[in-house]
Amino acid sequence: MSALPVLLLAGLLHHSFAMFDTTKQVTLVGTVTAFEWTNPHAYIELDVPGDAGAVKHWTIELGSPSILQQGGWKFKDLKYGDKVTAVVNPLKSGQTGALLTRITLPDGRVLGNGPGAAGRQ
Amino acid sequence: MKTLAAVALSLVATCAAAQPPDLTGVWAPYRGGRGTDPKLAPPAATPLVLKPEYAAPFEARRKAEADAAAKGEPIASGAVACVPYGMPRMMSVALYPIEILPTRGQITIVTEAFSEVRRIYMNVPQSPIGDVPPGYYGRSVGKWDGDALVIDTIGVKTTVPAYQNMPHSDRMRITERLRLVTNDILHDQITIDDPVVLEKPVTYTLAYRRLPGYEMVEFVCDNNREYIDDKGGTHLKVRDR
Repeated sequence: MSALPVLLLAGLLHHSFAMFDTTKQVTLVGTVTAFEWTNPHAYIELDVPGDAGAVKHWTIELGSPSILQQGGWKFKDLKYGDKVTAVVNPLKSGQTGALLTRITLPDGRVLGNGPGAAGRQ
Repeated sequence: MKTLAAVALSLVATCAAAQPPDLTGVWAPYRGGRGTDPKLAPPAATPLVLKPEYAAPFEARRKAEADAAAKGEPIASGAVACVPYGMPRMMSVALYPIEILPTRGQITIVTEAFSEVRRIYMNVPQSPIGDVPPGYYGRSVGKWDGDALVIDTIGVKTTVPAYQNMPHSDRMRITERLRLVTNDILHDQITIDDPVVLEKPVTYTLAYRRLPGYEMVEFVCDNNREYIDDKGGTHLKVRDR
């Protein structure tokens, strides 16, 4: 990941995001089990099927609703059962938690984690 | 008759000139950038110079924060626990807008991040320093100085970090000058004076752009999944299903 998105994130989030490894990107293809449009952060809960059929569950942190709205998100953009592809920065701890970089919604729209990341400033 | 009309017109013009600028509405942080007029961007801050007895622990703390962040276990700020920022940091939180609401005898500023509220009482005397019950916002009084709204704030709790998380004493005084640079760009020049902690006052400027028609988003911290461990590290609660 280049320095620019890291600096951008620093401006979007109200505190440090250093628990996430912003040098690493993981692509998760899975099914939404919850979309929580809440403060101080929104969350996507995602079931990701593995190679052997086992499902791994991921918690994906987003910015706050205010910041997401500035990036083109709406509170009803995701719902239970939606199939999505999310590119994330995983937790450095190795747990299945991550910070969203961008997501492809079922209707094909690609949204980031706030303004700029989604092409809007 | 002609003379009377001229006098009336002149009075109207004088009254109009004496009207303070209208700051009512929502304002978003503005940082200038490529293609924008550099005069609209906030000017550079003056150096932050702490007295030696405060500088050493301040620098040690900064280093510890950098080391912890590099390990992926950032030292928690109050914001992780959803504790509001208070003055003066509430005036600039990431990209969150602020709303300025003048009413008779008072100007109220509401921030979107954490829904913080500060009240500025207009044209009344400030209390003696040390007489204000310590709080996140202290006591603010304001007056117009030409086209600048000058706000004096004292009484901010010493546990509320100030500019760049600098420590401060109960002698801290914050002086702001809010001025429209254009009709749609507002500067807030903030000077922090603290004779106990600072070698000299520090001045920095925040810039905002008007956001007409914007409806402030609520910010109630009811789903905080980040937590602070007993060493002060920040972690995320990950669900297993």
